[in-house]
Amino acid sequence: MSKTILAVDDSPSMRMLLRAALTERGYAVAEAEDGVAALEWLDSNAPHLVITDINMPRMDGFGLIEELRTRPRFRDMPILVLTTESSDEKKARARQAGATGWIVKPFDPEKLASAIRRVSH
Amino acid sequence: MNAPAATTLHRPPEQRINVLQGTSFVTDDPAVVLTTVLGSCIACCLYDPHARVGGMNHFLLSEPRHGRMRDDGEAERYGLYAMELLVNEMLKRGASRSWLRAHLYGGANLHAGMHAIGTDNGRFARDFLIKDGIELSQANIGGNTPRRVDFRAALGQVRCRIVQADARIDENRAPQPPRSSGDVELF
Repeated sequence: MSKTILAVDDSPSMRMLLRAALTERGYAVAEAEDGVAALEWLDSNAPHLVITDINMPRMDGFGLIEELRTRPRFRDMPILVLTTESSDEKKARARQAGATGWIVKPFDPEKLASAIRRVSH
Repeated sequence: MNAPAATTLHRPPEQRINVLQGTSFVTDDPAVVLTTVLGSCIACCLYDPHARVGGMNHFLLSEPRHGRMRDDGEAERYGLYAMELLVNEMLKRGASRSWLRAHLYGGANLHAGMHAIGTDNGRFARDFLIKDGIELSQANIGGNTPRRVDFRAALGQVRCRIVQADARIDENRAPQPPRSSGDVELF
């Protein structure tokens, strides 16, 4: 059974690109448009890993990560941030919130797949 | 009865900012005019009439190799990056995704007989706006002549002119993603 990855990004184009890159590598992909939609989906699903953007409406990536880390069943789940942001300050904030890794867009599908493999338990 | 005093519309001094290929700029300052000259590149101008903020980017998909666009998704990833940078900066300045209005300019095919990269750029930009649900208010793309675009971003006012074919166009450089693009850092 393929592992499921939740892709959280407010851009449908970016979600489509992620879906294409990940399904090609054997993953099942679920999508959410922001942190709120992600939490709703996560109420009844348990993905293998979450990839989240930072800048999103309603709930941004920082808020999503912080919220997930308060929930015991998501405490150890890998969460990769995929963002256009590259400032050290935001990277440190993501790390403090509980992110597992930080990837700067535009992403290289091979590097993304490699990161997923490295953080997979 | 005194005659009403003459009123003069006050327009702040204009500040022109040249938006070079691979960059974007967002502002809520009505004095700022974003300007660029385009050949096959695309400039997307976004405006939120409620937040009164606007911005422009200027991008070119990957250069064609051996007469063909690369088909490994790299071009699309770069174009998406250019669009997302602009959209994100608009949202940070108070714009709302649902109020964004877009104008597209450029996408000319300047050199007959070569791959129609301008057409590819225009198609990509239109597709992005459709997929991301951003309303396209105006498009002046295609053809075979360069354009100059002046965008008073905070007011949403655009002027697009055809310019001489030998106009200096900032399209000599290959697309330059950020130095850190694609980098992975695991904590």
